[in-house]
Amino acid sequence: MSSSDHAYNHSYNYSVFDLAREQPVFAEFPNRLHVGERAPDFPFENLADGQTVRLRDLWASGVAILEFGSFT
Amino acid sequence: MAAAAMDDLADRYGDRGVTSAFLYTREAHPGENYRHHTSLEVKRANAKALRAHCNLRRRILLDDLDGSAHRAYGSLPNMTWIIGPGGRIFYKAMWTEAQDVESGLLEALAGLAARAVDKESIAPFYSERLAWRPRDDGAFRAGLERTGPQAVSDFYRS
Repeated sequence: MSSSDHAYNHSYNYSVFDLAREQPVFAEFPNRLHVGERAPDFPFENLADGQTVRLRDLWASGVAILEFGSFT
Repeated sequence: MAAAAMDDLADRYGDRGVTSAFLYTREAHPGENYRHHTSLEVKRANAKALRAHCNLRRRILLDDLDGSAHRAYGSLPNMTWIIGPGGRIFYKAMWTEAQDVESGLLEALAGLAARAVDKESIAPFYSERLAWRPRDDGAFRAGLERTGPQAVSDFYRS
């Protein structure tokens, strides 16, 4: 593995799963962004039509369920 | 991932003002068949593969390539959040388990309904609990194998 590969593996889109890198992320989860706080708003791309959807639009007038995930 | 159960949940509560979305993040276990994202085109292609494989009915929304939203919400591979009207966080879960999500949703809807009748009669408070989810190691390994030999070896080497 080259030094540039090594650097990339530690970026957001890692190419190699490493449990040791993920465990601290799980441990930190209860300590940040709690219920009762305001949810962060971000723009997303709608896969169906390419249009931009903001998260705040999902909860503007009702309740929103947000599941994060990927195919893998 | 409880895709079918979460789709069913979305269908059952859609007429009660509940909007559901699947927010596509980085690949948790990249492999030869579904690589890590080096472009939005790769991310779109993998999201379409997920939609086809799981017959996912909820809308799929793509985070940006750097995972700005995913990182802000905690970076975990399959978390679920319930957000109330106006943006207040009602529920956060490290993993997605449809029954637990429905439990949180029902509590949220009941509180909102009570406040709509008499705002002074009910007040929210913070609570925590440990939830449970079924483990299916066979299905998890099958998912890794679908992604490719690298995904299998990376996980079990870890």
